[in-house]
Amino acid sequence: MKCYNINSGGTLTDGLAIRHRLTRGSELQIAIALALLTPMTAFPATDNEIAELRAMVDQMKSQYERRIQDLESRLAKAERDATKAATRSDADEVPLEQADRIASTESQPMTAPPVMPPASPESGKTGLGALSSGNAFNPQISVFLDGNYYHDGIDGEGATLVGLAYQPSRGADQVHDHEEDGDHAHGLTENGFNFREAEIAFSATVDPYFDGSLFLAIDGDGTVELEEGYFQTRSLPAGLRVKGGKFLSDFGYINRQHPHQWDFVDQNLPYLNLLGPHGLQDTGLQLTWLPKLPFYTLLGVEGLQGNQEIFGATLGDDDRAALELGDTDDGPRLWTAFAKVAPDIGINHALQLGLSYANNNQHQEVQEHTHAHGDDDAQDDDYEIEIHRSGLAGDARLWGVDLVYKYDGGGAHGHKSFKFQSEYLRSIKDMTITSSVHPEIIGSRRTFTTDGLYAQAIYGFAPKWTAGLRYDVLGMTNEISDGGKDAGFGSSDRWTFDVTWNLSEFSRLRAQYAHNDILVAPGERERFDAFYLQFLVSMGSHGAHAF
Amino acid sequence: MFNAVDARVVMVKGFVVSVLAGMLGGLLTFGAAQAAELNVVATNSSMGALARTVGAGRVQVTMLASPDRDLHMLQAKPTMIRALRDADLVVAVGAELEVGWLPVAIGSAANPRILPGQPGYFEAAAQVDLLEGGSPADRTLGDVHPVGNPHVNMDPVRMAIVASAMSERMAQLDPAGGETYRANARSFAAAVEQRMDAWQARLAGAPGVVLYHRDALYLLDRFGVQLLGTIEEIPGVPPTAQQIKTLSEKLRDRSGVIVYAPYASAQAPERLAKSLGWEARRLSLDPPMGADGSGYLDHIDLWVQTLAPAR
Repeated sequence: MKCYNINSGGTLTDGLAIRHRLTRGSELQIAIALALLTPMTAFPATDNEIAELRAMVDQMKSQYERRIQDLESRLAKAERDATKAATRSDADEVPLEQADRIASTESQPMTAPPVMPPASPESGKTGLGALSSGNAFNPQISVFLDGNYYHDGIDGEGATLVGLAYQPSRGADQVHDHEEDGDHAHGLTENGFNFREAEIAFSATVDPYFDGSLFLAIDGDGTVELEEGYFQTRSLPAGLRVKGGKFLSDFGYINRQHPHQWDFVDQNLPYLNLLGPHGLQDTGLQLTWLPKLPFYTLLGVEGLQGNQEIFGATLGDDDRAALELGDTDDGPRLWTAFAKVAPDIGINHALQLGLSYANNNQHQEVQEHTHAHGDDDAQDDDYEIEIHRSGLAGDARLWGVDLVYKYDGGGAHGHKSFKFQSEYLRSIKDMTITSSVHPEIIGSRRTFTTDGLYAQAIYGFAPKWTAGLRYDVLGMTNEISDGGKDAGFGSSDRWTFDVTWNLSEFSRLRAQYAHNDILVAPGERERFDAFYLQFLVSMGSHGAHAF
Repeated sequence: MFNAVDARVVMVKGFVVSVLAGMLGGLLTFGAAQAAELNVVATNSSMGALARTVGAGRVQVTMLASPDRDLHMLQAKPTMIRALRDADLVVAVGAELEVGWLPVAIGSAANPRILPGQPGYFEAAAQVDLLEGGSPADRTLGDVHPVGNPHVNMDPVRMAIVASAMSERMAQLDPAGGETYRANARSFAAAVEQRMDAWQARLAGAPGVVLYHRDALYLLDRFGVQLLGTIEEIPGVPPTAQQIKTLSEKLRDRSGVIVYAPYASAQAPERLAKSLGWEARRLSLDPPMGADGSGYLDHIDLWVQTLAPAR
């Protein structure tokens, strides 16, 4: 029988014999060099120096011995592999113990070694140091850099305005609406160059029971923020998994994506306005279950602390006392449940439908209205604007429906691939007025309802190039109801078009144009065009192509 | 007002109850008996063909990617996660070829049996020696794989070795079928052996090939067919017109054939073929979806015919 093996044991052995001679030769050279060097020193060497030299020689010797041992063991392994390969290609039966060894060592994924085997003696490799595995246990690290050039026709306010589209309830956000820290989340985008964020992601297997992940975002000002930091179980039975820590909720579809995964530069209006720039990101526990059904079904529930900016906000101590809102309840206050279903519609197609629900059982809010007293034309000190603040407390609910369809077109570098994605969100906040200068309304109820929808499609029109179109709207229903009469405020909407150039798997450039029609206050609209040029690069471990 | 609140409580309860009911329903169907002894999920049709052959009669094979899609560029789809959830064994080409999506899909499948390091995780590339290992981890060189060239499925001899290792793995998971698996792997190796001489003879004096990507390297290496060049100079980076021109000038007075994968852009290979007067062939790296071991060998046959000198 022929043996088609690439490595033949013979050549390898020869190679090693030569190396043996070489290494022994160099040891000899060192010895000679030292012998020659010693008499050349003008004054006799002290005992200390001799001891030092001896230690050096010993150390070098041990290093070379180590290298030879290393080479020998590698040769032995190569020979073993070669024989193993030979026996297997000859279709001889693999002995059982050998098979066990194969099975136990070869179910590991092949990955690039984190460090190259040392080519020269390292300080950590002397007989004096402790044996260590170096950085082999380091987590996988990826870094994403995300920056842009931005311009709109309203002095750069547009990027902030799209996140402040008018809705009757804005939560805590409304309180510092007029303060300077408006959009502190991902840095304030202004006309000109912006560094949005650097995201650093670490992930590793903790032990047989858990995986761990950490995502840090550093914005353009250098502020570090914990985006996610969680553990997730590896070995629960029956399709169950538990995740704990701070994480992006699996509510909806786009919620768990980080900004560098988006198909457009900015977040859609419903998420941005109903959940805030971070989305539903909170601390708590998640339980998901993948039942053994004929098609993909994922069911999950989450219990989260509930510290949200818009959806279930709680106010500061001073406001709570002044407005008689009561104490902040113990957490967890935010509960979510979601179901995702993906029928099998062919190997190159993917469809996923989702239904999500979230309930934050405490939401507090301040509503401000102004009264003008006196006459505008009269003397200044008669004229007075009084700001009345009312406190409201209650709970907040959010429904979400999502649909994602993807087609793998099979062209080069994403050419002919298509993706459609749409979500509908509806936020309902039921609240009771706890304090007001108008005592007659204290104790009466208000329901704030705002919904939103986005639909977007991405198509790979050439290898490495995609074009995207998005329509998003906030406030098709945008009203306060007090049981009797409803007050509606109208909607904000936007059309966005973008072109993305994926130079490689690791870098992309994107141009985006949007026409915005934003309701900034009841009866007051801002219509403007906004333009982005974005760069996104990723470094480090190969990124994941998650659905 | 009260009615509205009441209605929403009912609605919320209804949703929570239906989620819980779904969970319960799933639990009841959990444990429904499988017809096959082993549920194998293969990442592509090469690995699928091998699993079908080795596990003939005892395993049920599901494949995650079709041969006309780039295995490196796939996304983790929900249907993949569903398939992996019940898998006893996942069979990948490995060496980071599926790195973009398989770890994500396995991670989401909530199936501890197939996690890397467990007997249920099998990489073909981990069973054989790899070519081009130890290249620098430098992304200026494109999407490189320092661990080695992952496309081992293009070498029938390595695939016979993989089949043998796979039979041991299947035997470990399903001891009752151990003899069947080993016998199947032996007959696959024999079938490879049987065709080797003919392939070798057919490829003697082959003029050489220009590949789009270094993905058929193992086949060329096995039969000593010369790789005259690659259309893309850097893996994952499409060639420039200048690169094609340079390649064309270099190969002016030679004969050869150009082969590119179904998911590669045809433009550059066709332009090169035109300027050299060679033939450009679009060939998949993997056999058709339904292939078994002999289907895989037919697929190698097709490549051999393409690379062979004109008769």
